[in-house]
Formats: sequence, C-alpha cells, structure tokens
Amino acid sequence: MSRKLLLTAVAALGMAFNSGAWSQNIKIAILGPMAFVQGENHWAGAEMARDEINKAGGISVGGSKRQIEILKFDTNELQSVPDATNAIERAITRDKADFLIGGFRSEAVIAMQEVAMDAKKLFLGAGAADAKLGENVVKDYERYKYWFRVSPTKSPDLGRTLFAVLGAVGAQIRTELKKEIPKVAILSEKAAWTESIVKAVQANLPKMNMEVVGTWQPSPIATDVTAELSAIKRSGADIVFTLISGPMGIVMGRQMGELQLPAIAFGINVEAQKDGFWQATAGKGNYVATLDTYAEVEMTPKMIPFVKAFKERYKKAPTYNAATYDAIFILKAAIEQTGTIDANKLVPVIEKMEHVGAGSTASWDKNHDLIWAVGKTAGIGVQWQDGQKVAFWPPQIKGMKPFKMPKQ
Amino acid sequence: MKGLLALPQWLWAQLRHEVLVLPSRSFVLIATIALLLLPLAYDDPYVLRIITMTAIFAIFAASWDLLAGFTGQVNFGHALFFGIGAYTSALLSHHLGWAPGFTVPIGAMAAMLAGYLVGIPCLRLRGSYLSLATLAFPLILTGLLFAFPDFSGGELGVSGLTRVIVGTVGNYYVAVVLMLVLCFAIWKIGDSHTGLIFHAIREDEVACRASGINTTRYKLLAFTLSGLFAGLSGALFAHFMRVAGPSSLEVALSFQVVIWGIFGGIATIYGPVLAVFILYPLTEILANFEVFKEIRLLMFAVIVLLVLLFMPQGLTPWIRDKIELVCPRCKNRSGFTRHQCRLCGAELR
Amino acid sequence: MFQDILVSGLINSGVYALLAIGFSLIFGVARIVNIAHTAFYMLASYALYGMLVIGGVPLVLAIPLAVVAVVALSLVCYKLVIEPVRQHESAVLIATIALALIFQESLLVSFGGHFLGIPNAVEGVTSIIGVRVSYQRLIILVVVAVTLVATWYLLNRTRLGLAIRASANDQEIANLMGMNVNRVAMYTVGISVGLAAIAGVVVAPVFVVDPLMWLSPLVTMLAIVVLGGLGSLKGSLIGAFIIGYVEAITVFSVPSGSYLKGAVALSIMVLVLLIRPEGLFGVVFEEER
Repeated sequence: MSRKLLLTAVAALGMAFNSGAWSQNIKIAILGPMAFVQGENHWAGAEMARDEINKAGGISVGGSKRQIEILKFDTNELQSVPDATNAIERAITRDKADFLIGGFRSEAVIAMQEVAMDAKKLFLGAGAADAKLGENVVKDYERYKYWFRVSPTKSPDLGRTLFAVLGAVGAQIRTELKKEIPKVAILSEKAAWTESIVKAVQANLPKMNMEVVGTWQPSPIATDVTAELSAIKRSGADIVFTLISGPMGIVMGRQMGELQLPAIAFGINVEAQKDGFWQATAGKGNYVATLDTYAEVEMTPKMIPFVKAFKERYKKAPTYNAATYDAIFILKAAIEQTGTIDANKLVPVIEKMEHVGAGSTASWDKNHDLIWAVGKTAGIGVQWQDGQKVAFWPPQIKGMKPFKMPKQ
Repeated sequence: MKGLLALPQWLWAQLRHEVLVLPSRSFVLIATIALLLLPLAYDDPYVLRIITMTAIFAIFAASWDLLAGFTGQVNFGHALFFGIGAYTSALLSHHLGWAPGFTVPIGAMAAMLAGYLVGIPCLRLRGSYLSLATLAFPLILTGLLFAFPDFSGGELGVSGLTRVIVGTVGNYYVAVVLMLVLCFAIWKIGDSHTGLIFHAIREDEVACRASGINTTRYKLLAFTLSGLFAGLSGALFAHFMRVAGPSSLEVALSFQVVIWGIFGGIATIYGPVLAVFILYPLTEILANFEVFKEIRLLMFAVIVLLVLLFMPQGLTPWIRDKIELVCPRCKNRSGFTRHQCRLCGAELR
Repeated sequence: MFQDILVSGLINSGVYALLAIGFSLIFGVARIVNIAHTAFYMLASYALYGMLVIGGVPLVLAIPLAVVAVVALSLVCYKLVIEPVRQHESAVLIATIALALIFQESLLVSFGGHFLGIPNAVEGVTSIIGVRVSYQRLIILVVVAVTLVATWYLLNRTRLGLAIRASANDQEIANLMGMNVNRVAMYTVGISVGLAAIAGVVVAPVFVVDPLMWLSPLVTMLAIVVLGGLGSLKGSLIGAFIIGYVEAITVFSVPSGSYLKGAVALSIMVLVLLIRPEGLFGVVFEEER
C-alpha cells in the first residue's frame, strides 16, 4: 500500500518538474530581454509563427505531425550577463527545449552561445550583430556549428548596406542642392559594433566623392548631444551619418529639429525604427532616416502580409528582432526536409538553404552569417516624413517612396 | 600504530570541542558536507551551475567583508578587483594561451597589486569620502578598457576562454572546494591577531594608533588581501562563463556585494557567505515561476529592505542571538539549550 | 566654440547643482548617503510623463503635482524605511540602494524599458551670443537660478533654515537647544528631494526618460559632492560648475572622445581627493559618539 503511495508521489513530483518531457510538442525556447522592446519583438514574432504553423496542423516530423510550443525566457541580458546564461541553461536543462532562438546584447550572446554549444543545441541568433559569433564557427566547426544568425547581418555587412544607401543619398544631394562634394559629419556611439564601420566610412567616403568634416563619438548612454550638434552645425555638414543604438537616437532627432539643422540624418538609429519615435521627439524628428528591416514593401512576398498582421495584432510595427518568425519557419523547413529534429542532421540542411522569409531572403556562409545581398538580406532604408515612417531604399523594390530633403 | 591514530584522534577532538559545541558551527559543518555531497545526489546541470556561481560570488562577498566589515573601509567599487582578476586571466589566456591553472593565480595577484595601489590614496580618506572615491575606480577602468578596444575587446570583452576543468561537476567541485578553503582562510584571518587589529581600526583608529599599532600597514594589508581574494573569484568567474566582459566591473555588481555583505552581517565573513547562498539562488528560483519573472529584482530589493527593518545588524547576528547565549562572565557563546556556560560554568540565564 | 562651451556648460552645471545641493543637504543634516537621490529625480520625470502624456493634465498643474507627489513619497519612505534604521549607518546605505532598485523595477514593470519623450514646456529656439539655445534650456537655467536663490534664502533667512544649519553643524547641541532634530531631518529630506524633483520635471523634456536614467547622474553627482566637500553647499555648487564645464570642454575639444567625459570627471575627483581629502570646501567632522 505504502509502495503504491510512494510511486504515485514520485510520479506526481516527476510530472511537476518535468513539464511535458514526454509530450509530443516541439519545444522552442525564445530568449531575450522581455521587459524591453527587443525581447517583446522576439516573443511577438515567435507567437505569430507558432499560431500560423499550429493552425495549419504543425510540423511534419518523419510522417507524424507535431505542434510547436514556444517557451518564454527573460534573459535580462541588458542588466546582467550571468542572468542570461542561467536562463539558457534553464531552458536546456529544466524545460528540455529542443531549439533556442533569440539574444540581443553581444556580450551576453557570446556567453549564451557557449552554453548552447556545450549542449549541442541549435541556437539561432535574432539580435546580436557582432562578427565574433560567426568567427567561432570557422574556428571550431564541430563545436560551434549549431549556431546560425538569422538577423541581423553581421556588423561589417551593416557597413556595406550603409555605403550603398549613402551613395544614393549623396547622389540626390548632388542633384537637388547642386553640391559637387557633400559634407558628411559622423555621429557615432563609442561602442564595439561601430568601431569598424566608423573606420570604413572615414576611409571610403572620400572615394565616393564626399568629404568627412568630423567624427563625434559620444557615450552610448549619452542623453544630450547639443554640444556635438552645435559643432556639427558649425562644420556645415549636409549629412549627419549616425551609428546610434541607444536613447541618443531620440535626443538627436529632437535636437536637430530644434536647432533647425539643414542636414539630414542617416545611418543606423535604432530608436528611429520604432513607432514611438515621432512622439518621443515631440514631432521634431522629421527627415531622420535609418536602416530598418520591416516595412510595407515587397522586399519578399511574405513581408507585406507579415507586417500588416503584426501591426494588427500588436498595434505597433515589428523591429528586426521579430525575425524569430523567420527562424521558426527555417526550422520547420529543415525538419520537414530531414524528417527529424536531430540537430546534427539539421545543420547541413540549413547551411545549404535559401529561405524566403518575411524579413529577408536568407542564405548562410561559412561563418553561418547571412550572405549580404541588396534586396535579399541588406535591409531597407526608411525615413520619417511628417509623422510617417516611409521606406525609400532600395528604390527598385515595389512600394518604395522617394527620399525627402529638409527645406534649406 | 599510535602515530597512525594521532590524526583521526586530533580531528575527533577538534570536532567535539571546537565544532559541535556551538549550533552555528555545527550548521556550517552540515552545510559543508551537504555542498560536497550534492552532485552525488542531484546532478541537474542547472542547479550545479547556480551553486557554482554562488560559490564564486561567496568568495567575492567574503573578500569585501574582510575589507569593509573588519577595517571599516567601506568599498563601493569592489567590482574593480573582480574585473581586474577576470580581465587579467582572460587576456593572458587569450593572447598567450596559458592554462587556467596559471592565469587564475596571476589574475588574483594582479588584483592584489591593484588592492595595494587603491589602498594608498584611500589612506587619506575617511568614511563616506572613501566609499564614494572607491566607486570611481571601476568606472575609470571601464573607460580605459573602452578606449583600447583592440586590446581589451571593447564591450564584448574577451571571449573563448577555456574552463578550468572539463565538465559541470568538475567545475562545481573546483568552485565549491576553493570557496570552502578560501572562506575558511579569510575567516581565520579575521579570527587572528591581525583580525583583532582590523576590528580595532574600525572601532577607533586614533586609540589604535595611540597604542602603537601601525594602522597604515594594516589598512593596506586589508586592501591587499581583499583584492587578492576578490581577484581570484573574478578569474574563476571569467573561466566559468568563458567570457570576461565590462559587466564584471559594473556599478551594479559593486552594489550587489555591499548588499550581500550588510544583509549577511558585517565583520563576520560567514555572514556575507550565507547571504549569497540565500539571495542568489532565491533570485534564480523566482525566475522559475511565471508570475514572478518580471518582478524578480523588485522582490529582491523588497526582501532586503524588510530584513533590514527587522534585523538591522544583518542576518547572521540575529540568527546567532537566537540560537546561542552569551555568558555574562567570560563573554563566550554557548548553545541555547545549555544552562551553564560551557567554558567557565557560570549561570547563563 | 568657446560660446558653445560657455552656454552648454552653464546649463549642465545648473542641473548638476540642483542635484548636488540636495544630496549635500541631506548628508550634512541627517548624515545619510542617499543613493536613491537621483532615483527620486527619475520618479519626478516619470510622474510628469504620466500626468502630461497619459493623463492629459495641463502642464501648469502637472509640474507642481509631480514635485509634490514625489516629495510626499520620499517622506513616506523616510518614515517607514530610513528612520527605523537610522542608528546603523551601513543599514541606511543599503536601504537607500534597495529603495532605488524598487523604484527602478516598478517603473520598468509599469512603463517598460522604452525610452520616452516629454514635450517641451515652451517650443522654439533663440540665439544667445551666437549659440542656438532652445527655450526649454533657458527655462532650465531660469528655474535653476530661482531655485538656488530660494534655497539660499530658506537656509539663511528663515528660522527653519537656521535649525537646518544648526543640526548640520552639531546635532547634539541643536537638540539640546530645543530644536526638534527629527522634524528638522524630515524637513531636510523634503527640501532635498524637492530640489531633485524640480530638476527632474524641468530637465525631462530635454533628455529621454527610462528606468535606468538614475545611474549616470548618480555617479556624476557623487563625484561633484565629493569634489566640493560632503556637507558643504557652497562646495557642491562650485563642484557642479567645475564638473559641468569639464564635461563640456571634453566634448567640444575631443569630439571622438566625448564618451570619456564621465571618466574625466571621475579622474578629477580622485585627483582632488588625493591632494585635499576633504574636498574643496569640505568640513571635517568631529568624531561622533
């Protein structure tokens, strides 16, 4: 009698701790800073994918259909790197996740990558741009092959996109303002991801027939750039080339409007990618342009329906972190092709895949980084025009509108 | 034959007369045994990871207590030593390819040197001035590291480090054994003649100097030793996480160790260690429950605040007062079940 | 460039001065190192955001309401959390750290980690000695100046101010002289946080509001009060101007090094401490029993 009681107790305990270890669902852990916009987008993109796939019946694994279950893990990586590694360990060990997607802060993702590789689990990145993550794959293929970056392109490639757009904007300045050599002021955060891009810009702009009038590098958490902008104004710049991922993006937009700088801002401005940018700059962030990933243009056949559905469900536009949507579909394609969820069998399939997603048409190189190509993975150029975020680059894609210059 | 029995006999005598006589020491003994046997009973890598991190942070907290609790030089930038230990061992490992067995001690020694160097200007400062000045040092170092990103890796830090030992259980034992040994050593330092002088310096430095003690030397000694142990914990941390980044120098970490120290009870060594073992796993456990996930840090702060209101001197002094009684005659502690002091026989109640 | 530094430095110094003087005041009188000081500054900004952007309360009402609300909250916190543990200095310290964390996390949970913007009180730009300055920044200058004068008046020309200065000088004797030291401490907390709250509502439109915005002003403010001398209001004022201008000079003269302005400010603080441990105008306290 007591033996039966003991067995029941153990079984109950086992059920309590092994949340669905024997369930047929495929478990995908979504890891990100959930209190912040990056994590919110990680989760939102994943939810959209899960609902779409499960409604269609699930993923076909070697004949039988299995549903997807997504698990939310708050890595709190912006405040604590150990929290992130604890979260991913929990996802692997406690919750027995089959796949891991997400990440944002490069320092945390590098540490998380180690944990995932130890456990030989597929880890798809949807936020960190540092090249080191891909370099590890080449350095020790057998260990790091389970890592793939779904978004964004690695930071040196961001530079290539920036040059392409700068060329287009520069050409427009030449025709509209009748200036042979546009002047460019570089306003960049002092951060690891901007280092190589700043150097490349300083070296290449003269070759593109543009002059670099100065380089300003405030701290990533700076909230006041009037000093820098006054100096930039004095330099007579036509373009303010921005590399900003933090709150400075809002402040700059606003203060440029207040000081009535005749220049346009273009570059990477993560805050300007968000819908709240217009309100945050109190309507002064007009003409601010930035690289972005999603817009209602036909970069891929899936992009417009995805963006529309996302906006309807979450009342705001997706950021590049919503690439978790594409990541899950990539996994689906690979699983259905191989008929298994064994990571070792999936890796070579993904390596050779070209996936038409909602954010990009993705394919991977030796570093398991996205192969850069305009119109496929290079992203979109957007500009704020009178309260609306308008896509203007690449001009050949359907849905693009022209770029606007401020009144001189 | 007799010689062979000498060691076990001595151990048994120690156990009977030194350890088992006090409830607090018995508790420490039980906890030690439990920690050492844990992997045999429960080898969930997640739990082992948490305890490994806790052990590393416990060394860190103990080193802070030695400096701030004992000599009263409250250090608000203790993460400096942690970060120096982490970065030194990481850079040596990355650029020169040395094994962790070498880089960890060297990292610790670099932090020890840093402790000495930081201690010198702090000699002139007192109280809050010292605390706020020490706050500045890790921030200045962070600025320097960002200024030379090719060397230090910028915000990414140094990555790709090797673990001290392969395997979760191996690392667990390295961390836990080191913690037990080092924390015991730090406690012994606190319990020695040097520790007595540290106490005296905190209580009344002028009287100390009047008694002929070279307080400068002892204050510097406190800084140096504290730096050594903190640097060691930092180096272990770097090798365990495989990354040494600017997060090892951040203000939040310095504040965290201050909270652990005061929460556990300053000038005790075992207090902060206990505080880390309670608070760090607690914040992790809270993360497991859906409803608490978002407000983890909030609950942590609220708990700390509440405990502070009821036990302003820290957790361990409060606990010890409950389970032990102080003899009115010889001032030594005995278990709360006793009626007479274990040493001098006086009536306890 | 010189004019840029002059004007930019002036405005930043003014804000720092408000924060530093409040902090110094509370340390001088109550011997509390209030780590949550800039957290109250942050709370005031959020209160303004909440009322203005979400609640739609008119600006004229929102500003005083925000300040009063934050001061009231601080008094409640003082009574509940700080006063019981006044005797143990170290406990007070982590109590204030814990409070700051609670504020940060509560704001994070309620508003999210997003960067929020508040519209200016007055729109428009003007030119001062060749430098374009927005009206909002001028407002900051004016408010800072008025507040500083008002604080000076309060401290030097009123009975309460006399009591505050006396308590800061020697709490025991002040108590013996019949001043209710506990009540004086409460008034000081209110005034100190009030200064921080005013800084918060007037500066918020110019910067961005997020739950972590209390950390970097905290470090700069600590550098200033240590530099000027803990407990000395004159020192805090002068320290604020020194650090404010050092930062402005760093940004203007070394554009690719403007991220260093924090490290430079701290290095100056460390240097001054090495030469003069009590800070520039610090008072060396007698050993307190």
